[in-house]
Amino acid sequence: MPLTREDVAGIADYARIALTPEELDEMTAYMNDAVDLLEPIRAYDLEGVEPTFHPIGDLSNVMGEDVPDDAVRHLPVDVALKNAGASRDRSFRVPSILGDQGGDR
Amino acid sequence: MANFDQLSAREIAAGVANGDFTATEVARAALDAVEARDGEVKAFLQVSADLALAAAEATDKARAAGEKLGPLAGVPVAFKDNMHLVGTRTTCASKMLANYESTFTATCVQRMLGAGATPVGKTNMDEFAFGSSTESSAFHPTANPWDTERVPGGSSGGSAAAVAAGEVTVSLGSDTGGSIRQPASLCGVVGLKPTYGAVSRYGVVAFGSSLDQVGPFGRSVEDVALAMNALTAGGRDPWDSTSQPVATDFLAHLNDGVEGRRVGIVPALMEAAGLTDEVRDAVTAAGRALQDQGAELVEVELPNIASAIAAYYVIAPCEAFSNLARFDGVRYGYQEPGQATLAEQTSLSRAHGFGEEAKRRQMLGAYLLSSGTYDKYYYPAQQVRTLITADYARAYEKCDVILMPAAPRTAFKFGEMSDPTQMYASDMFTISNNIVGNGGVSVPLGLGATSGLPVSAQLQGPAFADATLLTFARAIERSNSASDGSGAPVAPAFAGKGGELA
Repeated sequence: MPLTREDVAGIADYARIALTPEELDEMTAYMNDAVDLLEPIRAYDLEGVEPTFHPIGDLSNVMGEDVPDDAVRHLPVDVALKNAGASRDRSFRVPSILGDQGGDR
Repeated sequence: MANFDQLSAREIAAGVANGDFTATEVARAALDAVEARDGEVKAFLQVSADLALAAAEATDKARAAGEKLGPLAGVPVAFKDNMHLVGTRTTCASKMLANYESTFTATCVQRMLGAGATPVGKTNMDEFAFGSSTESSAFHPTANPWDTERVPGGSSGGSAAAVAAGEVTVSLGSDTGGSIRQPASLCGVVGLKPTYGAVSRYGVVAFGSSLDQVGPFGRSVEDVALAMNALTAGGRDPWDSTSQPVATDFLAHLNDGVEGRRVGIVPALMEAAGLTDEVRDAVTAAGRALQDQGAELVEVELPNIASAIAAYYVIAPCEAFSNLARFDGVRYGYQEPGQATLAEQTSLSRAHGFGEEAKRRQMLGAYLLSSGTYDKYYYPAQQVRTLITADYARAYEKCDVILMPAAPRTAFKFGEMSDPTQMYASDMFTISNNIVGNGGVSVPLGLGATSGLPVSAQLQGPAFADATLLTFARAIERSNSASDGSGAPVAPAFAGKGGELA
């Protein structure tokens, strides 16, 4: 069943990408074309086939030592903040995360 | 003296080491060539003249102090603009990152610099590497140096074009579905996608984390081998958990013969819909050239790679959606001003920071990962990945490498492929190798009989047999009489424009 405009609007909301009504029309057409392209995947009988999530060998999660890397990879605060759209003191600055209106503007 | 665009990386490094010319002279020649040529090619998003001259000066000082120089001493290189280099922006050709200053340097970039290379600048690309033509760059298109009305391919189109136009000797790109091999093919240069894990991804902006791999472009196979040595000689990168140690000298067996070795041909691929006659004929001729050098051609089958594009367009958008979720407009990237809530700020920053294709891919990924859809597409795609991997493993029991086209056709005109899903077919020959993580290399075969534009062959090999790929690539290169066997020429419209070694 093709994706409807409402379906795509729901996905856009979940993906946090605000689409204009016109973009929503174009995106709906694209999503249905793209999903058609994926049909070969559904034609297989994959009973008993193990998935491959990672291409090379028996890799599993690699855990680092739980110690700060102050020497090399540590980003100084001013470097970490310099690409932020808004900051204050040693922090990133964001609008309210609670409710529609309240909070720090 | 000579124009630097006529020198290989090895010749430049040797010339600098011998004192025939200085690294500073080479750097100035490269910057001069960029000045003279890039107005038309537009391969660069940022030229890092200060960094180039400082690196070259350091190389010259090291020589004066009697220090041993690196294997890329003084060699002008360019980096795809998804690679961090302190002192440059890293924009991914996106408005989202238009002002993003690199906060650290990627391991792949650092290793090239450590080998003595001179960083000339950052190259254009499809936005966040989503595309096959470099047309989705938010800043400007890049022209194919062989015909400036045509695209250079993509997504690493700027890196391929910079080498083809002789603006730099070597460049780095990244390949998630063909983004090194396809532009290399369209621009007539050598482009290697190494085995997944061979080159560190640390500091390279992630697109598809199980697919992305960094690799070099050069006009000769030897230059690509030199770059691979620089990229891998430092061993495993502890900062990329998927990095693998590669204890290979890529130059050691470069000129080995191919006598008695086996080259796989996949008949179904040579008959694929969309493959043009001139590309098929050139690849067939490359197979004969290998045969003439004593290699044996054997037929192999890869029955499941017909589904590789479908599997890829499940896996890659899902990984892209996860990776690009970090662009929330808070820590870095475009931030929509004047929003009352974080949710509005985020969704408008992403709406206005990302271009069309970046939004499409993320929307597709978001849908495919949503509950109910995951089991229909994502999980089965990873199972099909297992089948494709098994196909290759069976094929490599019968052959050392597989010979096939790199791209179905030569460079297309700007705007010619307007439909996004049609564009996806540009990677029909390259994508399966990313799915399985193996290496592949694009080898120039001169100009196509019909189009007069660069055509090429692709060699694919088993995991961590990238040096073997280069041996076969060198054998094809050696047989190319048009270039007297030494490598691909600089595109004629740009050769010798600026770039004289003073």
